[in-house]
Amino acid sequence: MALVEAFRNRWLSKSKFQVEVAYARPDRQLILRCRADTSMRLKDVIESSGILRIFPEIDISTARVGVYGHLRSIEDRVSEGDRIQIYRPLQIDPKESRRRRAAARKKSS
Amino acid sequence: MRTNPRPPKHNLRLLHSLATRFSGRSLADRVDAILPQTQCRQCGYEGCRPYAEAVARGEADINRCPPGGETGIRRIARLMGREPIPLDPDCGQTKPKQTAWIDENACIGCTLCIQACPVDAIHGAAKQMHTVISIECTGCELCLPPCPVDCIHMQPAAETSAGLAGLLGKFRRRKSAKLFQERHQKRLQRLQAKRRQKSGRPKLDPHPSQNRAGDDPRKAAIQAAIERTRAKKSSLSGKPRA
Repeated sequence: MALVEAFRNRWLSKSKFQVEVAYARPDRQLILRCRADTSMRLKDVIESSGILRIFPEIDISTARVGVYGHLRSIEDRVSEGDRIQIYRPLQIDPKESRRRRAAARKKSS
Repeated sequence: MRTNPRPPKHNLRLLHSLATRFSGRSLADRVDAILPQTQCRQCGYEGCRPYAEAVARGEADINRCPPGGETGIRRIARLMGREPIPLDPDCGQTKPKQTAWIDENACIGCTLCIQACPVDAIHGAAKQMHTVISIECTGCELCLPPCPVDCIHMQPAAETSAGLAGLLGKFRRRKSAKLFQERHQKRLQRLQAKRRQKSGRPKLDPHPSQNRAGDDPRKAAIQAAIERTRAKKSSLSGKPRA
């Protein structure tokens, strides 16, 4: 019974809730589940999730992070059910890409 | 008591029917458990759950799910106590399971595919690289049309259907269907909470089950507003200029 109680206190206490931490590369994507509370910032959750050990290329000081497709500051607090996503930069410049597409369209028409 | 959604064999049939009858699951739940949960809307409904509800109510035919294929139709038919019928070709063709991948050299980080994905399987944000999380991807292809640079492609998912591997595949499909279902539910809840926050008043129907593309009251309201504006505009432009 003591074990059950310990489990309750550790994992099911009211203040703790489940969040996800995700990182994705074309060859490997990972969504980790971990527990957090409202006092934690996105940074703390990412660090405590251990995703930085799995993907050593993540630089937490420069990477942009967000929750469900919306950019957030790394200092923001987490809330219940969040999926904290660590993003990678784009390979191409969207403006340049647009210019190129416009030129191609002009040429073809 | 957990019940097996697979069609029972021989004398297990009675046991199965009793088990499903007394497990407290509605008919819609049981249809929903058979559907592959791709949330692809090829049936014409907003997702697998609304279609399952329509089938349970007897409004929709049982042959409108291309990803479920012949097997799915057979199982729904048995559940509903009907004869299996061939797939409705208007809904599409049964294809082997595919997953999406994004061409990193073309993605401009526009987020349109993220908004289209019914199960949050695309990882990315505005002007950040978008990546498909392949085990989360249902292969619904809903992300393909919105992409302005056509950088999303489908590739066959590694799957076999023979022998032990096939058996494992079956298990894996059920497992991923559960995952898709859960992700889709979570997404709907999240979007609804967001809408409620924005509008300041609660929206009633959390899962618009009856909303087929044609007779959505909200869509009708939007259409009416567009017509009004158009009428106003044309009356303005008709006036002689001062």
